[in-house]
Amino acid sequence: MIFTIFKKELKDTLRDRRTIIMMVIIPIFIFPVIMTVFTKISDSFNSDTIAKTLNIGIVNEDKSNDFLKSLNNLPKELGKRELIIFKDSNELKKQINLDSIQFGVFVPQSYAQIKDSLLSADLKIYHNATELGMQERAEVFVNAINENIKIIRYAQLNIKPEQIQPLKISYENVASEKETIGKLIGGFLPYLFIAFGFMGCMYPAIDLFTGEKERGTLETLLTTPVSRWQILIGKMGVVVMSGLLAASLTMLGIFLTIEVFDIIKEPKILEVIHQILTVKFIFMFYLILIPLIIFFAGVMIPIAVYAKTFKEAQSIIAPMNAIIVLPAMVGFFPGVELNLTTSCIPIVNVVLATKELIAGTLDVGLLALSSGIMISLATISIFFSYKQFGKETNLVS
Amino acid sequence: MIQVENLSKEFILTRKLQKEYATKDKVAIAVDNISFECKPGRIFSLLGPNGAGKTTTMRMISTLFAPTKGSIKIAGIDVVENPNEARKKIGFLTGSTGLYQRLTPNELIKYFADLYHVPTDKFEERKAYLYDLLNMNDFQHKRIGKLSTGMKQKVSICRTMIHDPEVIVFDEPTSGLDVITSENIIKLIRDCKNQGKTVIFSSHIMSEVDLLSDDLAIIHKGKIIFNDTFQNFKQQMTTDNLTSEFIYLIGKQS
Repeated sequence: MIFTIFKKELKDTLRDRRTIIMMVIIPIFIFPVIMTVFTKISDSFNSDTIAKTLNIGIVNEDKSNDFLKSLNNLPKELGKRELIIFKDSNELKKQINLDSIQFGVFVPQSYAQIKDSLLSADLKIYHNATELGMQERAEVFVNAINENIKIIRYAQLNIKPEQIQPLKISYENVASEKETIGKLIGGFLPYLFIAFGFMGCMYPAIDLFTGEKERGTLETLLTTPVSRWQILIGKMGVVVMSGLLAASLTMLGIFLTIEVFDIIKEPKILEVIHQILTVKFIFMFYLILIPLIIFFAGVMIPIAVYAKTFKEAQSIIAPMNAIIVLPAMVGFFPGVELNLTTSCIPIVNVVLATKELIAGTLDVGLLALSSGIMISLATISIFFSYKQFGKETNLVS
Repeated sequence: MIQVENLSKEFILTRKLQKEYATKDKVAIAVDNISFECKPGRIFSLLGPNGAGKTTTMRMISTLFAPTKGSIKIAGIDVVENPNEARKKIGFLTGSTGLYQRLTPNELIKYFADLYHVPTDKFEERKAYLYDLLNMNDFQHKRIGKLSTGMKQKVSICRTMIHDPEVIVFDEPTSGLDVITSENIIKLIRDCKNQGKTVIFSSHIMSEVDLLSDDLAIIHKGKIIFNDTFQNFKQQMTTDNLTSEFIYLIGKQS
C-alpha cells in the first residue's frame, strides 16, 4: 500500500510545474550558470586588465627623470602604460579620483642621486582603493624598478646577492592537491546541496499535505482502508525523494559543468575533481545526505499537516530555509573541522563531513557519529510527523 | 447496515479555537449521545441546520473521526476496533470532495481501486460497468483539472463506487452543485437503494430529502430530535410543508 501511495504521489508531483522548476530545472542549471557567469566575468576582468593601457601619473618637475625612464624600460609583459607628468600631487589626486589616471607616483628630487649616493629615495604612491587591483599593479612596476636598481648596486659594491640575503625561503605544500582544492570547494558544495535539498522537499511537502487538505482530497483518502502511517510514509517517501533528486541534480549540474559544458579550463582543478567524483564518493555522499533529507522532510511535514492553507505553510517553512542554510555557511570558514563536538551539531556536521569527504580526509568514526545524530533526529521528526498526522483536527479543515 | 449507539463527539477547544468561537468553554460537544439505525435497501436522511452535528456524525461513520463515546457498526464491524475492515465496506462522497487535478480519471479510479484492494479482474468489470453507466468513456484519458464540473462529479461517483461498497455515506453531496450535476447524485443514491445498499445521506435541502428519504432523523445542537420513517414524519406534520415543519421543530427546541 505504501508503494501504491508513493507511486501515485510521485506521478502527481512530477506533473506539478512549480515542483519541477524547484526540483529539476534550477538544481541542474544553477551550477553551470553560476560557473559560466563567474568565469566569463573573471576572464573579461583579466583580459581587460592586461589589454588596458594604464595611465600612470608622475609628480616630478624633470620631464626626463630617471624613474620615468626606468618605468618606460620595463618589459612590455608587465602591461601597457602611458606616463603623464604632473607638477603637483593635488592635480594628480584629482585625476585619480576621476579615473583618468589609475595610480600616481611622487618622485622626490633625491631620486636622481640614488644610483651614485647609495641612499634611499622616498616614493609615494597614490591610488584609489575602490579601484580594485591598482595598488597591486603599482607594486609590480615599482618592485621591478627596485630589483633593477639592486642589481646595479650589487655590482657597484662588488658583492653577491647571497651576501646580503642570508635566508632563501621556499614553501612546500605537504597536502595533496586533492586535499587543498577539496577543502576549498568543499565549503561551497554542501551549501548548495543543503539549500537545494531543502527547497526540493519544500514544495512537495506543502503540496502533498496542506495542498491535499486544501483541495479536499485528503478526507477521501483517509476513508480508504489504508493506515495513516502507511499514507504518511508513502507521502514522506516522495518528499524525501524530491529533496534527494534536487540535491543529486545539483551534483549532475556540476558534472555537466565539467564534462559537457567544458566551463572549467584549469587542468589541475579538473584532475582533482575527477579524482573526487568516484563511486565511493557518491556512496558516502548519499550516506550523509539521506538522513539530512529525511530530517528536512520530518521537520516540514508536521508544519504542512498543521497549516490550513498553502500560503500559511509556505509562510512558515520558507523562512526556515534561512535557519537551515545559516549553519551550512560554516563550510566557508577556514579552520572549522569535523570533530567530536561539531559531529553532534546537526547541519554543521553534514557540511563539515561533506567537506572532509571531498578533501579525502573523512574520519569514518566521525562520519558514523554525524550520520547517527542525523538518523536519530530524522527518526524523532518522523515520529513527530506521525503524531501530527494522527490528529483529527489537523486532517480536515 | 449502520448501527449507531449512544454516539458522542467532543472537541477540545484550544485558546485559538476559543477565540474563534467566542467562548470560554474548554470542550465543544458536537454530537451528544445519539442512536439510530440505517437498514439495507433504504435511504436514511440526516437533516439538520448548519452546525447541528451532521458532518461530525458522517465523519465518525466514515472513520475520519473517532467517537468520544458510543459505538458505530458498519455491516456488523465496529469502526473503532477494526477501522480498516469497516472502511472496505464504505463508499464516501461529500459535496466538497476534491479530486487530483493532475491525474486522469483512469489513473484516479485505478489508484482508489488499489487502495480498496479490488482484484484486477473485478476492477476491469466494475470500471467498464461504471464508465458505461456514467458515460465516462470519452474523457477517461483527460486530466481531471481540464474536465467540466459535471464530468468531475461523475469521476467522484465512480471513485466512490469502484469497490462496490455495501454502505454509502453521502455528506451534503449536492452542496454547491447546479441542478443538472445534482441530478447525477440523486440518480446514484436511488440506484444504490435499488441495489440493496445501505444509504445514509445528510442534507439541508428539503426537496432532496422529500424526494429520496425512506427514514429520517433530525439533528439539532448535537441531539436527535426526530427519528422515524419519513412516512410517519409526514403524517405527524403540523404545518403544510417540509420546510415549515423543519423550522417549527428546530424553533421548538431552541
